[in-house]
Amino acid sequence: MVSKTEESQLQQLENQVENRGGGAWEYLSLVRKLKLRRSDKVLKHGLTILNDPKKRSALGPDEWTLYEQVAIAALDCQCLEVAKDCIKVLQKKFPDSKRVGRLEAMLLEAKGSWAEAEKAYSSLLEDNPLDQVISMRRVAMAKARGDILGAIEWLNKYLEIFMADHDAWRELAEIYVSLQMYKQAAFCYEELILSQPMIPLYHLAYADVIYTIGGLENLQTAKKYYASTIELTGGKNTRALFGICLCTSAIAQLTKGRNNEDKEISGLAAAALEKDYKQSSPSKLSLLSSTLRSLKIQ
Amino acid sequence: MAEDLMLDTAIRDWVLIPLSIVMVLIGVLRYFVSKLMRTSQLPDSKIIKEGQLIIRARNLRAAANFIPPKAFRARKVYYTNEENGLLYVPKGQGQNPQAQMFSDPNMAMDMMKKNLSMIVPQTLTFAWVNFFFSGFVAAKIPFPLTQRFRSMLQNGIDLSTVDVSYVSGRSWYFLNLFGLRGLFSLILGEENATDDTQRMMQMSGFGFDPSKSLGAEKDGLDIVQHDWVLPKFEQRAEAVLRKRLS
Repeated sequence: MVSKTEESQLQQLENQVENRGGGAWEYLSLVRKLKLRRSDKVLKHGLTILNDPKKRSALGPDEWTLYEQVAIAALDCQCLEVAKDCIKVLQKKFPDSKRVGRLEAMLLEAKGSWAEAEKAYSSLLEDNPLDQVISMRRVAMAKARGDILGAIEWLNKYLEIFMADHDAWRELAEIYVSLQMYKQAAFCYEELILSQPMIPLYHLAYADVIYTIGGLENLQTAKKYYASTIELTGGKNTRALFGICLCTSAIAQLTKGRNNEDKEISGLAAAALEKDYKQSSPSKLSLLSSTLRSLKIQ
Repeated sequence: MAEDLMLDTAIRDWVLIPLSIVMVLIGVLRYFVSKLMRTSQLPDSKIIKEGQLIIRARNLRAAANFIPPKAFRARKVYYTNEENGLLYVPKGQGQNPQAQMFSDPNMAMDMMKKNLSMIVPQTLTFAWVNFFFSGFVAAKIPFPLTQRFRSMLQNGIDLSTVDVSYVSGRSWYFLNLFGLRGLFSLILGEENATDDTQRMMQMSGFGFDPSKSLGAEKDGLDIVQHDWVLPKFEQRAEAVLRKRLS
């Protein structure tokens, strides 16, 4: 997760670089450190540095890291020629390197020759069976081909070894949700909440999944998680506010108003929603009010 | 008996400072040599798996109160189940890591290399110090010491009446040995091979890491009581919303 200072620094550098203010190298280093995906900007500014021999030699040994970064950005933007040139340069310098091998395999993947890329990745993994990045690329490739079940299988194998990689768990959860395998998705989100309990995003996603599975107990659980999201975001998360109202009305529907459900919170959530809508999109306020009224009536 | 011995400034110029400089240089040299000699360790998949498992189990223990009771119980059983739980290590297997460590040629070579790079320079420097810088008083320690330290700190000085605060070159060597660690972490960055004391502490607790910590995690998990905090969150959320609306 990017911290606030880093984010503001990034914005500032981006503006500076876009307006030809120099500082391209710092921008690129920051992007590399934070592992962000700004491929078009990286490509543009990286190429300006690389094509200028003076600036290139000023970089020293970091030149090769820049080549790698620009190659990956070029692959992302489908400028395969640029990528091929960068990879050739790197190959000349580091003939037997695993990192360059990985770049070559990524080039094959970008071209669309899936079978060859698969072969390249497998051979790289044979030498080094515990390389996280290559395993992840295999998953990404399976997903790109549309082979979702294969992606799930690879991702599960990956997670068997690298259990603490929360990005992988998140990816798996999203894949399960796309396949409507909600129980498994709930499990993945639970893992995420366990590893980082204070991130409201995971609570929210978990609540969504639990609400979708349905059933009285699950609805009550979902309501609790929407409430925790509200608390973690200071009451500003619109989706959580809606979630609370929906949960309350669904629970009321299921129990036919029999139990002494705490309706206060949904009232508060509805009021907060109306306030938000008044501020940001007053034209939709009437729509909101009628929706909320219908929820309560049910 | 507090007689103030006047120590020649030549001692400072020719003993204390050169010794420190030599030790710094040797440290830097060792750092670069170790960098060159370091073979990339092929991480063993079993060890990685166990390490990640420990992280995951620890997360479970730490944040257990955030997930629903059913989910927690399911996970607890999954981890600590007697037959095929993840954390369960049967007694026999516990001894393996250490035996493995000595039989595995790679790891043994690695340890030997690390030991060598640590012991050889230390021994050489120590011998050099003893040869050149013994037999005279080198420095005065600013605080008084008991008589017990005499044998350690005053090796070349055969006068028993000299105050124990006056020490020989050997003690300056030891002082430098432990004190320059801080300096090295400034010059060479955080990771440097000169961290002898740390390495010594590490070596004592080496092979037992996986199985013992797995057992420890299992015990920890068995103890944890699940106290679901989410209901409290619901009330807190109400308070937050109320504050927002007011």
